Amino acid sequence: MGVTVLQQFPMTENRTGPQTIEFLTKRIVALGAVQTGQFLVDCETYMSVPQLGVQKTVHVLHNSEQPASVFAVLESGSKVVPLIADGLFDLLMLKMTSIYTSKKQTKIESKGPRFEIGDFCVKLGSVTMSQNFKGVLVEVEYRPCVVPGSAWDLMREFLQGFIGSVVPNQAPQYLQNRMNDIYQPMDTIQQYLEHFGQYRKTTGVI
Amino acid sequence: MEQLQTALTAIKVLRSSVGQVFDSLGSGLRAEHGDENKETKYLLELQELLTTVNVNLRDVEQAVSSLNPPPGPFNLASTAYLSQETTQERQALYGTLVNSYKWTDKVHEYSNVAQALLSQNSLKRSYTNSNRTKRGRIQTSSHNVSPQQVDSLISTFDRQFNDMTVSVSRPFASNAVLHVTLGHVLKAVIAFKGLMIERVVVTGYGETMDLWTESRHKVFRKVTENAHAAMLHFYSPALPELAVRSFMTWFHSLINLFSEPCKRCGLHLHSALPPTWRDFRTLEPYHQECKP
Repeated sequence: MGVTVLQQFPMTENRTGPQTIEFLTKRIVALGAVQTGQFLVDCETYMSVPQLGVQKTVHVLHNSEQPASVFAVLESGSKVVPLIADGLFDLLMLKMTSIYTSKKQTKIESKGPRFEIGDFCVKLGSVTMSQNFKGVLVEVEYRPCVVPGSAWDLMREFLQGFIGSVVPNQAPQYLQNRMNDIYQPMDTIQQYLEHFGQYRKTTGVI
Repeated sequence: MEQLQTALTAIKVLRSSVGQVFDSLGSGLRAEHGDENKETKYLLELQELLTTVNVNLRDVEQAVSSLNPPPGPFNLASTAYLSQETTQERQALYGTLVNSYKWTDKVHEYSNVAQALLSQNSLKRSYTNSNRTKRGRIQTSSHNVSPQQVDSLISTFDRQFNDMTVSVSRPFASNAVLHVTLGHVLKAVIAFKGLMIERVVVTGYGETMDLWTESRHKVFRKVTENAHAAMLHFYSPALPELAVRSFMTWFHSLINLFSEPCKRCGLHLHSALPPTWRDFRTLEPYHQECKP
């Protein structure tokens, strides 16, 4: 598990979602990348019923990179509790419908092709919320390095070389708070959750 | 020996031509013989095949007649008694015995080749000495060093760099194997022979370490390669401690493997790899392609 950075790729008027993905695919293949299948990250959000008092939110996420795990993030007030469980957690959530109800229309996912180039792993995801296209989210993982602080400059160079000046010079806020920690799969999930939150708030495409 | 070889080939050819005769006999009349005169055609074919058998048989006879019968029975020494073995599980011993003979033969052959190569190229790490006059003298060796001496040297590295942890194990007799963890960047296994570095394997921080598996990341495979170059560069039989110390200092410079850009091109990446080369003297980072 290496350091991962997520970057939204802004949509332009003259290109549709699939066209943008194809455009980026051409670029990464020209750099020498090899496609290694597809990927999928999805997120479903559950709300606690009002009778329980303070409302709590549970986000349940899956990442095809960790296929045997289910990631859950519980938000209650200002507290955030992350949890990694195995596949049975999905069934458990089904049993808890009397406490937590799913907001079906906010089910959001990012999926698309996955590429490998050297030690980098690049994923071009098109984000859809209940079948509506919302935007393009690029994930870049540098697998040999586990500390965001030492990998950021190198990854920024890669990202800027690949998707251009959209990439800021500063690391994403989420990583900036953890520059010297060891990167965990949960960190990728938290970043996805942040971006999914932004996509959910906006009405059109980003 | 050559005659025996030709005789064997002749027998092989004979066998195959006889095989063809039986093949043809076995399949009988076939479609390619056509409709008209198929019997005569078939007979002609058989005749042809039999003539080749005849020719081949003559070849075999000729080859065999030029062979000399071996003088007297083969001397199998004590292995002859293997044929008198009565227990079932030991009757198969002869096969394995022959195999082991073959292996010994091969080892002998390879070592002869290696010896020839070594005497031509004087590798500085090996102790082959083709010069006879020097044989008598005692050579200074970095192989035969007491474990305490090695331990005391290694413990100095542990204290020298506070972001590098070093632990020693001795899985192979008295030779030390070092497990080095360099910050959160990489890990390495360094095998010693006395005070001489024998092998280095560099892997990622999250990977498992052992002496034989390579890293799954390209960058660490490259770094392993460069570490081998460094190990050979710093090797000096006269001052083994200095050699190990210089190697460790060089190795410590990899702490900024991901964070430092190349000194020449100023970039982090070149063909998707960070600067993996460290200059031996200045310890400055360079890409493989940019190194001076």
